[in-house]
Amino acid sequence: MQKDSVQQKPLRHRGSFLNDPRIVPYVLVAPFIIFFLVVYLYPLIMTIIMSFQKIDGPNHREFIGLKNYLKLDTRDFRLALQTSGRYAFWDLIVLTLVPLVIACILHSGLAKGSAFFKSLFFIPSLTSIIVAGIVFRLAFGTLETATMNRVMIALGQKPIKWLSYADSGNFVLILLTLWRWNGVNIVYYLSGLQSIPTDYYEAAQIDGANAIQKFTHVTLPGIRPVLIYVITITVLGGFSMFTESVALWQQNNAGGVGRTIVGYMYMVGFKKNNFGLASAVGLTLLALVVAVNLIQLVLMGFFKKED
Amino acid sequence: MASNRIEGKKRAVLSILATALMVLFAIFAMVPFAFMFMSSLKPGAEMMRYGLTLKFDPGISSFQNYTALNTYRDGVYWHWYKSSAIIMVMQTAIGLFFSSLVGYGLAMYQFKGRNLVFSLVLIVMMLPFEILLLPMYQLMISMKLMNTYFGAVVPYLVPPFMIFFFRQYCLGIPKELMEAGRIDGCTDYGIFWRIMVPILIPAFGAMTILSCMNSWNNLLWPLIVMQDEKKFTIPIGMGTTITPYGNAYDVLMPGAVMAVVPIIVIYLFAQKTFIAGLTAGSVKG
Amino acid sequence: MKKLLAVLLALMLVAGMCSALAEGEPVKLTLWTFQALHTDLYKAMQEKWNADPSKPTLEIDYQVMPYEEMHDKLTIALQSGEGAPDLVDIEINKFANYLKGDIGLAPMNEYVEPIEDHLVMSRLNNYAKDGKFYGIDHHIGATVLFYNTALLEEAGIDYTTIKTWDDFHEAGKVLLEKTGKPMVVWESADCWSVYPIVNQHGGDWLTPDGKVRMDEPVVIDTLKFMKSMLDDGTAMACPGGNTHSEEFWGWMNGGNCASVSMPFWYLDRFTNYMPDLKGKMKVAAMPLWPDGGHKSAQMGGTGTAVVASSPNVEVAKEFLAFACLSFDGCVTTWKICGFDPILKDVYGSEEMKEPNVFFDYYDQDIFAVLAGVLDDIPDTCISEYFPTASDIVKTQMAYRLVELMEDPEQIAKDCAEELRSQID
Repeated sequence: MQKDSVQQKPLRHRGSFLNDPRIVPYVLVAPFIIFFLVVYLYPLIMTIIMSFQKIDGPNHREFIGLKNYLKLDTRDFRLALQTSGRYAFWDLIVLTLVPLVIACILHSGLAKGSAFFKSLFFIPSLTSIIVAGIVFRLAFGTLETATMNRVMIALGQKPIKWLSYADSGNFVLILLTLWRWNGVNIVYYLSGLQSIPTDYYEAAQIDGANAIQKFTHVTLPGIRPVLIYVITITVLGGFSMFTESVALWQQNNAGGVGRTIVGYMYMVGFKKNNFGLASAVGLTLLALVVAVNLIQLVLMGFFKKED
Repeated sequence: MASNRIEGKKRAVLSILATALMVLFAIFAMVPFAFMFMSSLKPGAEMMRYGLTLKFDPGISSFQNYTALNTYRDGVYWHWYKSSAIIMVMQTAIGLFFSSLVGYGLAMYQFKGRNLVFSLVLIVMMLPFEILLLPMYQLMISMKLMNTYFGAVVPYLVPPFMIFFFRQYCLGIPKELMEAGRIDGCTDYGIFWRIMVPILIPAFGAMTILSCMNSWNNLLWPLIVMQDEKKFTIPIGMGTTITPYGNAYDVLMPGAVMAVVPIIVIYLFAQKTFIAGLTAGSVKG
Repeated sequence: MKKLLAVLLALMLVAGMCSALAEGEPVKLTLWTFQALHTDLYKAMQEKWNADPSKPTLEIDYQVMPYEEMHDKLTIALQSGEGAPDLVDIEINKFANYLKGDIGLAPMNEYVEPIEDHLVMSRLNNYAKDGKFYGIDHHIGATVLFYNTALLEEAGIDYTTIKTWDDFHEAGKVLLEKTGKPMVVWESADCWSVYPIVNQHGGDWLTPDGKVRMDEPVVIDTLKFMKSMLDDGTAMACPGGNTHSEEFWGWMNGGNCASVSMPFWYLDRFTNYMPDLKGKMKVAAMPLWPDGGHKSAQMGGTGTAVVASSPNVEVAKEFLAFACLSFDGCVTTWKICGFDPILKDVYGSEEMKEPNVFFDYYDQDIFAVLAGVLDDIPDTCISEYFPTASDIVKTQMAYRLVELMEDPEQIAKDCAEELRSQID
C-alpha cells in the first residue's frame, strides 16, 4: 500500500474559499473543534479547578492547594489502583485476542452459519447488565451448590467463593466483560478484515504462503490500524471499568475486591460528597490512561507511521 | 480463497472444529439471555426459589408479566422505550455524520495543527465522564438544555472514539483514490461523499452498532438531564427495580427482554442489506 | 355568648381564607424517590389530602429513579443550587452528605416538636443537625430475629426460650449437632449483621462530635462473640455475602438456616422472595446481652426531606407531616409498605390489626414483639463521617471478620485507625 500522503498542491480553485484544499481539512475537523470548545472545555477546566478545591455546596468553595492530590496516598486508592491494574492487564489480553480469533474464523467462512453467529454474539451487548449481574452472581455463588462450584467439584477441585477474593473475582469479572464486549470487538475486527482486498490473499496463495504466513503477512498488517484502535480503547476501558463491577458486586465491595478507580472516584465524589477529591482522582486516572496508552502506541509504532 | 482437493479433507475437519467453537461461544453468549427470558415468564418469587435455573415449568409460566408491564405505573415503560429510541437515533445519526468527517480529515490530510487536534480527540476520549458530571450539568442549565432530548445527546455529538475509529479505518484507504477523484473533477467533499463513504461502509456499520449500544445502555447522563419521568430511558427504569430495600423482578425481567428483542429483530431483518452493503463496500484492488 | 360569636366569626374567617386558597391554582410538587413502593403510600395520602377542601389541591409529579443515581442527581442539583425537587427520599447512609456545608434541606421542627413524645425520636435524630430535623422516616427499623421454627423444632428447640446471645449460641450448638445446619448467617459484604448487634450491645462507630468508637471494648467483645459462632460453625458467612443476594434468598428459602437478624423492614423479603417458608417463620426480639446493652437497634431507613429552595416549601412540609407523621399516614405506611411506623400511638390500635399479607405469612401478633422493645432502642450516630465509617465496616470490618476470620481485636484497631486517618 502507498503510504505517502497527498501533496497539498492547490490544483485548482473553484472560486470558493471552502473548496481550497488548504482549507478543506480544517472544515472537516471543525465539528470536533466546535464541539470541544462548547461542550468539553468548560467542564474540563472546572474539573481541574475543582481538584484544588474543597467543595461544600454552591457557596462554599475554597482553594486548598495540592491537598486533594496528597490525600490519594491511602490504602483504599492503592487497592483500587491494584484492582483496576490487574483487571486492565487481563482485559487487554483476553479482549484483544479472543475476538480476533473469532472474527478471523467468521471472516474465513470456515464455520457454518457465520451470519447467524455474528448476530448472536452481538446480543449480550444489548442485554441488561443488571440481569447479567444477577446471572453471574448466581452462577459464581459462594455455596457448593452454585453452578460453577458444582463444575469445580465434578472436576475434582475445591469449591471457591468466587466473588470474595481478588483473583477469582477478577476472573469472573473478565468473563463478564468478555461476555459483554466480545461481540463488539468482533464487529471492529470484521470491519477491518473486510477492508483487506481479497487479491492480497490470492497473491500470497500464488507465492505459496501457508495459513500462518497469510495471517502474519496479509491479515495483521491489513487490520493494524483497527488493532491499534481496539488495543487503545481496551486499555482505556480496562482502567475506567465501573459498570461491570457494580453489576457483579452491586455496592457491596467486601474487602475492596471489586472497587476500581472509577468506583473509588464515584464513592468519594457522590457517596462522600467530596467533589474536590473526586476530581483529583479523575485527573490522576486520566494521566494514568494517557501514560499507559502512550507506551502502548509507541510500542506499536503508532507515531512512526504518520510522521 | 481457493482450496484444492488435497486440502479439502483438512478443511472439512477445520470447519467442524471452527463451528464447534462458535457454538460454544454462542452458548456462553446466550445463557444470561435465556435465564432472563425464562425468568420473565415466572412470578418474581419463583425466580430465586431454586437459584440459577433454565427449567421451564408450564404450571407457573405465563406472559402475565408482559401484560403487567403495559400497566406498570400507568404504562410508563413504553414512554421510556420511545425516549430511548429517540435518543438512540439522534445520537447515532449525528455522531456518525460528524465523526466520520473529522476522522477522515485527520487521516487523509496533512495540515498544521493536525497532531494537536488528534491529541485533543484522544484526551477527550480518555476523560472519565463521571468526573465531568457536575460542571456538565451546570453547562446544560446555562444552555437551557435541561429536560430535552438534545441535552441528553450533547456530550456525544462528535464522539471521540468514533473519530479515532474512522481515522484508523481511513489510514488503510489508498490515497490515490483522492487524486483520481480530483482528476475526475470532484471537490474534496464530493470525493468524501461519492468515493469514500461507500468504502467506509464497514466502518459505518461497526460504529452504528457501537453507538446504538452505548446509547441504549446509557443510564447516568439521561437521568441527570431529564426532569420528567416519561422522558427517562429503559436502563433508568430497569435500574429502579433493584434497590437496597426490595427488588421488582417481575418488572425487571420482561422489561429487559423487551428492551433487546425488537432490536435483535430489526438487526436480523436488516442484516441481509447490511451484509450486501459490506461486500459492495470492500476495496477491490 | 359574645365570646362564642367571636369564635364562630373567627372560624368562618379562617375557613373562608382557607377555601379561597383551596380554590386557587393547584400546587405542583415534584417528588423524587428510589423506591416505587413509597409512591403508593404518597399517592394514598395525596388522595386523602385532596379530599379535604380546606387544603390546597396538590398535583404531585412522582419520579422514581435508580437508588445510587437518584442520590447522585440530588447531590449535583444541590451542589449547583439548581434543579432540585420539592420533596425527596434520602437513604440513611447518604443523608449525612446533605448536612454538610450549605444545607439545602428545610427543617421540619414545627411539625416534629409538638408531638415529640409520641414519636420514636431516636429515629428522627438520624436526620438531624444542630437541633433541626431535616428528614422524616417511614419506619423505626427495629432489628429483630426471624426464626425458622420448623427447622428449630427438628432439633427440639423452642425459639421463645432464647433470651440471651449465650442461649442463642447454645441453641445453635444443639441445632448444628442434630441437623448440621447453621443457626444464623453473618454478612461479609454489608453492615446489617455487625452494625445492629454492635449497636444493640451499646457500641457505635462514632460519637456525635466525630470521635471514633470503633475500637472500644464493646465493639471488640461483640466481634469476638460473632467470631466464636463462626469458629464452631453455628454461624456461617452469608451466601452471596449479604442478606439481599439472590443466592441467599434461594438458600434460606430451602430451609438451610435457622435464623436471620435483620431490621423489621426485612419482613417483606420473606413474603416476596421466600414463599416456601410461609407459616414457618416467626418474628422475635433480639437476644439480650448479659452485661447491658439494649433490647434492639434501629437500622436502615429513608429520611424524606423538603428541599429548602422549593417555591412551595410550606405546603411541601405540611404534606410531608400529613403523610408521614399523622396517625392516618402511619397506619397507611404499615398497610402499604409493611413498615413499623415511628408514631407510637398506632401500636395497639385496631387499624393495625386488620389482616394482611404479613399476618398471613407470619401468623403471629407481630406488633406485640415490637411493643416489647420500643422503649429501649438506642440512638445511632449518623454524623458527617457516617458514610465513611459505614464504608469501612462494609468493605473491611465485616469482610475480615466473617470471610477471613481474622482476630477481632486487630480488625477493630485497624478499622478505627483507617477511619481516624480519613477524618483528620
